[in-house]
Amino acid sequence: MYAVETTQLTKYYGKTRGIAEVSMAVREGEVFGFIGPNGAGKTTTIRLLLNLLKPSSGEVKLFGKNIPRSGGKLYRRVGYVPSEVNYYPEMTGRELIEYARGFYTVSNNQWIEELVDRLQFDPDKKIRTYSHGNRKKLGIIQALLHKPQLLILDEPGTGLDPLIRMEMFKILEELNRFGVTVFFSTHILEEVERICHRIAMIKEGSMTYVGPVDELPGRDLRVVILKFAGREASEVALGKLGQAEEIFSRPGYYRVLSYLPVNELVAQLGRFNLDHLRITDPSLEEIFFDLYEPSARGGQKNND
Amino acid sequence: MINGNISRTEIGLNRRSLLIWTLVLVVVILIYLGSFVFMGNLDFAELIEGFPDELITGMGMSAAMFEDVNLYHGGMVMLYGLLLASIYAMMLAGGMISRDVDLGTVEFLYTRPLSRTVIMLSKVFSFLVMIIFLWIAVYLVSTAIGIFWVAPGEYDLDAQFMVHLMGLLACLAAGGIAFAIAPLINRVQGSTSLAVGLGFFFFILNSVASMYEQLEFLRFLSIHYYADLSGAARGEPFVAGMIILPVIFIAGVVAGTVLLNRKEFPA
Repeated sequence: MYAVETTQLTKYYGKTRGIAEVSMAVREGEVFGFIGPNGAGKTTTIRLLLNLLKPSSGEVKLFGKNIPRSGGKLYRRVGYVPSEVNYYPEMTGRELIEYARGFYTVSNNQWIEELVDRLQFDPDKKIRTYSHGNRKKLGIIQALLHKPQLLILDEPGTGLDPLIRMEMFKILEELNRFGVTVFFSTHILEEVERICHRIAMIKEGSMTYVGPVDELPGRDLRVVILKFAGREASEVALGKLGQAEEIFSRPGYYRVLSYLPVNELVAQLGRFNLDHLRITDPSLEEIFFDLYEPSARGGQKNND
Repeated sequence: MINGNISRTEIGLNRRSLLIWTLVLVVVILIYLGSFVFMGNLDFAELIEGFPDELITGMGMSAAMFEDVNLYHGGMVMLYGLLLASIYAMMLAGGMISRDVDLGTVEFLYTRPLSRTVIMLSKVFSFLVMIIFLWIAVYLVSTAIGIFWVAPGEYDLDAQFMVHLMGLLACLAAGGIAFAIAPLINRVQGSTSLAVGLGFFFFILNSVASMYEQLEFLRFLSIHYYADLSGAARGEPFVAGMIILPVIFIAGVVAGTVLLNRKEFPA
């Protein structure tokens, strides 16, 4: 069974497109990353999953069941961390946790205290005094306290310091080992590479890729870092390799994104007199950028 | 159909405003009703006879009011008491719904394992508890002032009970109207402005409609007409109003629930 399933999911705000025909299926027990630039439709999709928005057409299912029109018991199995965490400013963190807890049957105080400790959260202050990071921690605690089977997180790492972010991902990994499905949107691709089994990429409201991270189109992209020996770089020569630019912090060094087959790339490089050469696989960020900004790169984009 | 967790929290979140408004109403009644003891020194009844009848009626006054504490309290003091209380009722009801959108707590509350109908009804229940508390406080204070200070022996407990009951029903109707409109408003400031505007609108509409026979039909649009506090003070409560006001409340809640169920919450 799929924890999340959307079929041809479409949302228009009046005449403005939100998302168009988004179809994806997230398996139970999977960590699924949902990535795309701002305005691509990530939050719209998440709000449709949470019944905060109604689809213009298409279907949303959670655990194989259609979302009831007015919400309901289905969300007992769901925890949600919004990207912008806003709560009642006059409540303390603890009061909010108790309020959230009141919606579920949670007998285990120990788990809540563990979350509070691990995220280094002080629950006894008024929410209005919390920094953005502390509100985010509170958002994570209130989403996890009932040990949901599906966690939906919208930009969970934003606002957290690196240590707490690392701890949060550890918690997510632990929960996932116990079968919790994690669906999260992010633009921090390092997070995706770290824990996602599969990803979906969305651009201008439409899905561009759904599948394993390793099989992303653009994985045949090569990143070449080179420095010519004793003479100025030839733009024409570099242009044959792919899209090139001088590295700002290392004058004389060039970074080239190339889709040339390996043998051809090596043959081309062999014609140069080089001082430095390094060829690496692209990071997800580089692929992401190349997929979203092919015109800016001018590279030979693989459209598989 | 009601979630106690939400109802308790709503009462907690609105506790301070309830206490402030209760205090304000109590002080207004204390001063206004208390001033009846000085009426004997000034011959108001004679004074207002010089005023045009339309103006006197429009202001909800009559010569008898200044000689009878029950008519004075029901027809004058509570006329303004109801104006204030109905504004508060609309602010409270509208704020309960608009606040979640305004603060961004929609994402917290509306993603819980509850239907929106349950969320609405739980808030309506908190509203009921708070408005009933307000009117009990007002009734107790009015009664205490009336019996022990202003007019011992003249204060009619039965008639005044009906005055306050009609006031309570009118506030429920006002709240129902606010519950019906609130899902369309995304700011607390907007629902507060609407509450103040509607409160004065009902009050002025009833006054103006009382002044001119040609405009009398406009009274049907005001909750003050159905409350008919003067009639209740005379011991003749408006029976149809006792039915219509709760019907407005229920209809408002139903309309608000339907709208809330259809409402979308974009980022």
